[in-house]
Amino acid sequence: MKHLFTRILWVTIATAASVWFIPGLDDAVEVVFQIVVLIASS
Amino acid sequence: MSLIKKTGIITLWALLVLVTAVVTAAVKQRGADGPNRVFSGGAFTTGDLQRGPEPDWSFVNDIDTLELQLLEPAQSRRIWTASVDGKVYVWSGYMNSLVGKLWKSWPAQAERDGRAVIRVEGKLYERQLRRIQQGAGLEKLITIINGKYPSSTTIAAIDDGDLWMFEAAARRPAGDQ
Repeated sequence: MKHLFTRILWVTIATAASVWFIPGLDDAVEVVFQIVVLIASS
Repeated sequence: MSLIKKTGIITLWALLVLVTAVVTAAVKQRGADGPNRVFSGGAFTTGDLQRGPEPDWSFVNDIDTLELQLLEPAQSRRIWTASVDGKVYVWSGYMNSLVGKLWKSWPAQAERDGRAVIRVEGKLYERQLRRIQQGAGLEKLITIINGKYPSSTTIAAIDDGDLWMFEAAARRPAGDQ
């Protein structure tokens, strides 16, 4: 179980760092989110 | 391990990545110069402040959105807009729905303190948001809104409080009220 929490932590950190530092990735994530919201609200 | 279990685990990992990515992008945008698409942005740090005579706001009927920043709190969002009789209006719909109550905080903030800045094509306009709670007299505006956007809003939506309509009036300097 401890091993699982460590993996979750690392995946979370790696994802957050990627979105924060890789140029354009935050915008791409926002596009995906916008599409999901549009589909959910239609 | 069964196929269903494998699929479930992969889905959970994908969900973790997606949620983390969305939250991170939203938090990052909060510190940016204005909004991007759907995430709120921070205070405007660029743009030319416009002073002088009040413009004819009918030009906003030719643009999709404008950027609206409140002074308190200093957050900005991209928002639909329309103009009638030279005045500019912004609004928030679905206010009586659960999504509206959870998602949309700016209308209540604007009602408490209506001082705002609008940014359109790099130009900043200081405004005072004034909520209009009765839809009577706004028929022309509603027609423009429904023609401009995929919307079917009504006067009744304003009266019922489901659509919060604001006129973004000119803001006079303190002491000139």
